[in-house]
Amino acid sequence: MLRRFSRRRSVERELDDELQAHLDIETKLLMDRGLSREEAEMQARSSFGNRTRIAEDARQAWHWIWLDRFSQDLRYAARTLLRSPAFTVASILSLALGIGASTAVFSIADTVLLRPLPYPHPDQLVWVANRFPGAAGPEFLASPDYVAWRRDNHVFQQLAATQAHGGETMLLNGSKPAEVHAVRVSSNFLKTFGVHPELGRDFIQNEELPNGPKAVLLSDRLWRNRFHADRNLIGHSLTLDGQPYTVAGVLPASFVYPMDVRVDVMTTLSVSPTASHHDRMMQIWAVYGRLKPGVTTAQARADLGPLFARSRQDIPLMFRNDTSRVIQPLQEHRVGDAQVLLKILIGAVICLLLIACANVSNLLLARWSARSSEFAVRAAIGAGRRRLARQLFTEAGLLTVLGCGLGAALVVVMLRGFVHYAADELPRLSEVTVDARVFGIAIAVSVLVTLVFAGLPIIRVGRMNIQSVLQESGRLGMSAGFRFTKRILVIAEIALSLILLCGAALLLQSLWHLRNDHLGFNPEHVLTVSIPLKGTKLGTMNRDSLAAELVDFARRIPGTEDAAQTECTPLSGGPLMATFTRSDRPLPEAFHRGYDAHVCGAGAGYARASGIRIIRGRFFTNEDLQHPNTVAVLNETAARTYFPGEDPIGKRILRDPQGRWKTVIGIVSDAKNRGLDATPGPEALINGITWPDATQLQLIVGSIADQHTLERAITAKLHSLDSGAIAKFEPLDQTITEMTAGPRFNSILVASFGAIAFLMAIVGVYGVLSYAVSRRTQEIGIRMALGAEPGLMLGMILRDGIALVLAGVMAGLGAVIALTRYLQAMLYDVSPTDPVTFAAVAVLLIAAAVIAMWIPAQRAACVDPIVALRHN
Amino acid sequence: MSKHDATANRIDLLQGTLDLLILQTLQWGPQHGHGIGQAIRISSQDALQVEHGSLYPALHRLESRGWLSSDWKMSEANRRAKYYKLTPQGKKQLLEEQSKWKQLVRAVARTMKPVQE
Repeated sequence: MLRRFSRRRSVERELDDELQAHLDIETKLLMDRGLSREEAEMQARSSFGNRTRIAEDARQAWHWIWLDRFSQDLRYAARTLLRSPAFTVASILSLALGIGASTAVFSIADTVLLRPLPYPHPDQLVWVANRFPGAAGPEFLASPDYVAWRRDNHVFQQLAATQAHGGETMLLNGSKPAEVHAVRVSSNFLKTFGVHPELGRDFIQNEELPNGPKAVLLSDRLWRNRFHADRNLIGHSLTLDGQPYTVAGVLPASFVYPMDVRVDVMTTLSVSPTASHHDRMMQIWAVYGRLKPGVTTAQARADLGPLFARSRQDIPLMFRNDTSRVIQPLQEHRVGDAQVLLKILIGAVICLLLIACANVSNLLLARWSARSSEFAVRAAIGAGRRRLARQLFTEAGLLTVLGCGLGAALVVVMLRGFVHYAADELPRLSEVTVDARVFGIAIAVSVLVTLVFAGLPIIRVGRMNIQSVLQESGRLGMSAGFRFTKRILVIAEIALSLILLCGAALLLQSLWHLRNDHLGFNPEHVLTVSIPLKGTKLGTMNRDSLAAELVDFARRIPGTEDAAQTECTPLSGGPLMATFTRSDRPLPEAFHRGYDAHVCGAGAGYARASGIRIIRGRFFTNEDLQHPNTVAVLNETAARTYFPGEDPIGKRILRDPQGRWKTVIGIVSDAKNRGLDATPGPEALINGITWPDATQLQLIVGSIADQHTLERAITAKLHSLDSGAIAKFEPLDQTITEMTAGPRFNSILVASFGAIAFLMAIVGVYGVLSYAVSRRTQEIGIRMALGAEPGLMLGMILRDGIALVLAGVMAGLGAVIALTRYLQAMLYDVSPTDPVTFAAVAVLLIAAAVIAMWIPAQRAACVDPIVALRHN
Repeated sequence: MSKHDATANRIDLLQGTLDLLILQTLQWGPQHGHGIGQAIRISSQDALQVEHGSLYPALHRLESRGWLSSDWKMSEANRRAKYYKLTPQGKKQLLEEQSKWKQLVRAVARTMKPVQE
């Protein structure tokens, strides 16, 4: 474009030069004939004529005129658009929302779900695991397999292990103790991912050995916030969980851990080079490999075949026939679960864009129809079809450019807002950028649609019978033909928004169910208190008496219902996953599947503090706590699963290694011990401790006292025992909020699509009806002049609109029933074809549409016959 | 084009004829605008006086259609001037215009004859 302008300038100069040359030659000839220079120049000029005019005419010959005419068209278009602000604003907003919302939402989804993790040569990174169908956490690699595979494979540059279930919290001791999120990795982890520490060094091999030196890498954030970016820290020691660790280095600020967990510090796993399947304890790891250049996953799979076979030979009970090894590109592994959401989002983006386009098309059509007389006049005074076309396209183009511009601004604003709002809830949000592909597609579609619908009237203009249009004052000339198109567009719009709204309603309902349904307990006023013990003075005290003292203290705080020491909460199963045994049945075989139960040690006050209901029998008493590990309370699922048709009370279960049994004394209601979206698993509460080595003490306090009062009182009590002690307080309802972050994210995404679609559909209905009213003003005037009641007119217009809306709703419902089953995977406790939801959405849509129709209908009813008959 | 000339013995150019005259003039070789105007005037023995207001726009029109190309060269008056010359496409156009012109002349002549007789 710039080149064209500069070329244009040089052409101008050349033209000027050329004309000057003419004058000079003429002057020269005249001077040759004996005239003086002045006379010659004057005569030459006067015989030449109007130089400016000639230059202008010559310029006309070139296409530069196109640009001048374009700017003229543009000015005219801007004036016309300004003259009908409602139309202009509605169209631009529709385009902007369509482009902006779809791009923004898709960009977020793309960053969070799809973007490859920021490692060099990401195509070489794979997820390596064994799949054990049926077992909890079905894909992992056990430590002996990892050690053997890492040692004996021929296809990996590196094979790194991390904790299978994210990270853990550790206590950073010091004058101001704090909890930090730690992940444990094998010493070659950073090499595998191709990450280099920003400062200091990577782990060395012997730091991962069971009795090797302990080293830690700090996250950039922790290093800056807590240690004020002190470079001298490297090589020094700091205390985590009471143990000294050498600070090896600092991770780069851009570092992203392959799992969605927060990382403050990174330290090593204990990888024993002699790990074997015959060890008493095996660890479960998530394993990532970096393939050698050029090696495919199929080759890697083949190479691991003999190693897999050896593991199976070692421990056939664990590696059954349905066990398989998994070598999967890391990107694919990450995206796996997100596929469904992504497909839904793509569908929603398409719906929204279509609605936006339908809206704009509708508005354009209504407008062109209303202007047919203007076109007729312009055609009559000699405007060619091409000239009219150019005018129409300029207007449409101007609309599109404004819409796209506003859309782009909207994208930026929405992304900023979203990142600000949700930065803590979702990983990698700081990386969100506008997705150029979606933005490009959205703009391309909008431009195409605008141009097509801008083009339709041009075809008409060509065929237009100028005279008839002028005679009819333009009210009927072109409008009749577009009526059908417009109606179809409104019906489509309503159908599409119904689809989006139903999807959103189903997801929101799932979310509501997740939060509020059948929790089996009341999460309000329940506080969990976690007190890290490892490496603190508290850790050296007698654990039971410490717990008893704290529980006793908490009970005495006014407002407290009850308090107890516990190893679980109603939202998390007990730490021990045990084989469920009965004294009156044979023991299940080793490595069985399907006899699992969570076991959780809990104090006497647990039931009252957490608010779970006792269904039969009784809960523990303080008396029971004097004889630990003697009695048990089952949840409903455990009672139903392991005592079908029997009364479990009095039965003896859960044999311990010493051969002692526990007597069932009661049954409590199920709670969400496997997560909010899963059915509860069997669980047994016992009057003892299942995991004496736990690094923290957990209390549960049910209290209507103010949370901060409770926190202050308990912290003060702790400090009286150990001035360096800290405690983490977490209300259960907050835990639920955190657990529903994912579903909430999904629902908010789809719901925002639904809301925007809804708005646009309503604008569409309003636009079409209000146009219809203005078109029929004269007819209405005549009817009223002949005595029709205003109420009748109102009814006539409303009937017209409601027919459209009903048709749209019907079409939408059909599509919804066909489509929502793809939502199934994301729904919880709601049927994908829930008739109540659909009916509610349909009614809402119809009601909103009727309100939108009311305004134009009211206008029709208020038509003054005299004004109407003079309408043109 | 319907501009009336002050001099009575000069003929108004028919629409489209100017293009033909320019192409015709240029078949002898490159010429600048002034020269083309002079050449037409001289070869028509002063009967056709080309308006500058028509000549230059016509030249640019023909150039924009690709029938003429232009070049800056020194003129006989010792000044740089823009010289036009026929392109191959222009030559073809000239032949076409010539035959069209002949047809037109014949047709007009035939129409005129009966009145003269």
